[in-house]
Amino acid sequence: MSAFKFVLNELKFSAKDRTLLLWMAVVLGLSSLSVGFGLSEVHSQKKVIENLIVSDRQDRIAEQGKLSDWGSAAYYNFHLTYNSPSGFAFAALGQRDEQPWKHRIRMLALEGQIYERDVGNPSVTLIGRFDFSFLASFVLPLVLIVLLYDLRASERTAGRYNLLESTAARPASLWRLRALIRVSAVSMCLLIPLVFAGWFAETDFLTLLSASTIVLAYAIFWSLVCYCFSAWRKSGSVILMTLIGIWSVTAIVIPASARLIVDRTVALPSGADILMLQREAVNDAWDLPKDATMKPFFERHPQWAHYQPEKSAFEWQWFFAFQQVGDQKTEALANAYRDGRLQRDHIAAWVSLIAPPSLLERSLQSLANTDFNASNRYESEVRAFHRKLREYYYPKFFNHEAFDKAALERLPEFNSGAQAAQ
Amino acid sequence: MFGCNLEHRATSVSQLLLGFNVLMLQADSLHVVRSNKAVLNDISFTVQRGEVYALLGGNGAGKSTTLLSFLGFLLPSQGRVLVKDKDVGADVMAARRAISYLPESASLYEHLNAIENLQYFLGLAGVDVTLGDMDTVLDRVSLAPDARKRNLRDYSKGMRQKVAIALAMLRNSDILLLDEPTSGLDPNAIDELHRIIRGLADAGKAILMVTHDVYGACQVADRIGLLHSGNLVGEFVAQGDDRIDTNAVHTAFASKANSSSLLSNPPSSNPQLSKV
Repeated sequence: MSAFKFVLNELKFSAKDRTLLLWMAVVLGLSSLSVGFGLSEVHSQKKVIENLIVSDRQDRIAEQGKLSDWGSAAYYNFHLTYNSPSGFAFAALGQRDEQPWKHRIRMLALEGQIYERDVGNPSVTLIGRFDFSFLASFVLPLVLIVLLYDLRASERTAGRYNLLESTAARPASLWRLRALIRVSAVSMCLLIPLVFAGWFAETDFLTLLSASTIVLAYAIFWSLVCYCFSAWRKSGSVILMTLIGIWSVTAIVIPASARLIVDRTVALPSGADILMLQREAVNDAWDLPKDATMKPFFERHPQWAHYQPEKSAFEWQWFFAFQQVGDQKTEALANAYRDGRLQRDHIAAWVSLIAPPSLLERSLQSLANTDFNASNRYESEVRAFHRKLREYYYPKFFNHEAFDKAALERLPEFNSGAQAAQ
Repeated sequence: MFGCNLEHRATSVSQLLLGFNVLMLQADSLHVVRSNKAVLNDISFTVQRGEVYALLGGNGAGKSTTLLSFLGFLLPSQGRVLVKDKDVGADVMAARRAISYLPESASLYEHLNAIENLQYFLGLAGVDVTLGDMDTVLDRVSLAPDARKRNLRDYSKGMRQKVAIALAMLRNSDILLLDEPTSGLDPNAIDELHRIIRGLADAGKAILMVTHDVYGACQVADRIGLLHSGNLVGEFVAQGDDRIDTNAVHTAFASKANSSSLLSNPPSSNPQLSKV
């Protein structure tokens, strides 16, 4: 008997398997829904960024008409920063769900601005969005378990196992082929909407290929686990409970326990503490002698040390100096916060090696530039941009340059790194 | 009855002409142990081409175990089983190719119709048959043409058994192993199935069936082996044109069944056994 006839026979049989057809439809529907949600969210984020770019420019032009000195320009001008979604972000929204991806930055203390984010429904944030990475990482294994756990057990229960084994010209191949057809059918239903959405979102071909390969490898991993357990001479319910147990441990217990342990071992200062410290530093400065502000400022900018603040009058130099000193005072806390989060993410990456669902989710988020590194990169870009603003304005303040509206055209502009990558 | 004997006599002549005395199945001092318990003890018997051999016994006597040994699902702890003179343990696949197996309450796929089931299982076996061949065989087993396109979930047990028999016939193997083929069938369906089994044997198939139906075994079998607690305790052979005497088999079977039921009662509740 030729292998082709053997495969064709099993394909014809599977085509009449209503359970398989039902699960194919379910996976196709869920996959379409997940990429649909993702595309819609990414479209809305892109639209927000497009609108903000226009509004930001219009706002700055409108403000410039009213400006008469460099201090007011620095105070009243907002600057848009944003982290554009990548072409693959629709599949794995990742950190874009909870971390900020847009800021309007002023020359004021940065620590008071950089943690701002849109207020969303906390319940939704806790659950997370239903995107493709969630579907592939957590739901796909369950579908594969349901389709494969009783590959042999159901035939034993139906009294057909010995008949099939004694009839099949290649009994070992029969089970492998049957499993392969089921896994291929479900994987196809999972990936078709992803490929279409990728084409629609103009995703980079290599990214799409890498994502599909990773998802297929993940499906093969779970299929092998299910296949091995399906050969166990136990009842279907025992095999099912065992596989669900494995899924629970790798998808829920290990990540949740690891998070609990990491949260306890890697302590983080609270964001509120950073904000409070910065606000107190800035507010206190109004009542402190100006020297108390200027001394730590000149330590960072010795080139402006020649500046002698007036005793009583308001001066923009002093105002922006105490804004920076506010940032300086929270620097240690802010660095500890950032380093702690990096360390937690680093540990989570190691833990994901024994929790395949987390590993897949992280891999897809990494491909989509929506992981913690991408969010951290954006924060660094905002900090760098804020530094550029200071570097632009400080010489104007401290060198007492004459106000020149035309020079405002040469204000630093934010370039989204993620946007450049895609 | 007279007609039946004439037919049988004619068949016996044809068997001689076709050289039917060829060993197709052989159990040679077969011992099988499952879960550290001996389920077959020193069983020896043979089945020849054109012969129906019925293994008769109560529940747990080891009937199905014997069949599974010929299919290579259970390997002997001692002794051997041979299919067409070849040790099953040496080449399980060769043994299975030579055998068509009809399990008890043959569960074909209920979401498929008769034709689709035959196509699937024959495809699995690598046997090429046409739709015409299938119709011919389904005619032989008297499955109504209008039923053939209905899913098996709408079939009676007898109809399903006919499809399973048709499958065994279409595989065209030399040997048929039938596990309780008449279990749960009505008397008409049993008679029809016996007619089919007899016809297959007369066409040269070697048939080993296991059953606890004494009457049915006597009606169709050329030889009957009586299995009790894993031991072959007796054998009955049809003499010439006469079928095996039902009463003799029934008496032997009942005495074994009674001794079994006696043994299964605790001594305290059965004073006769404690005297023994």
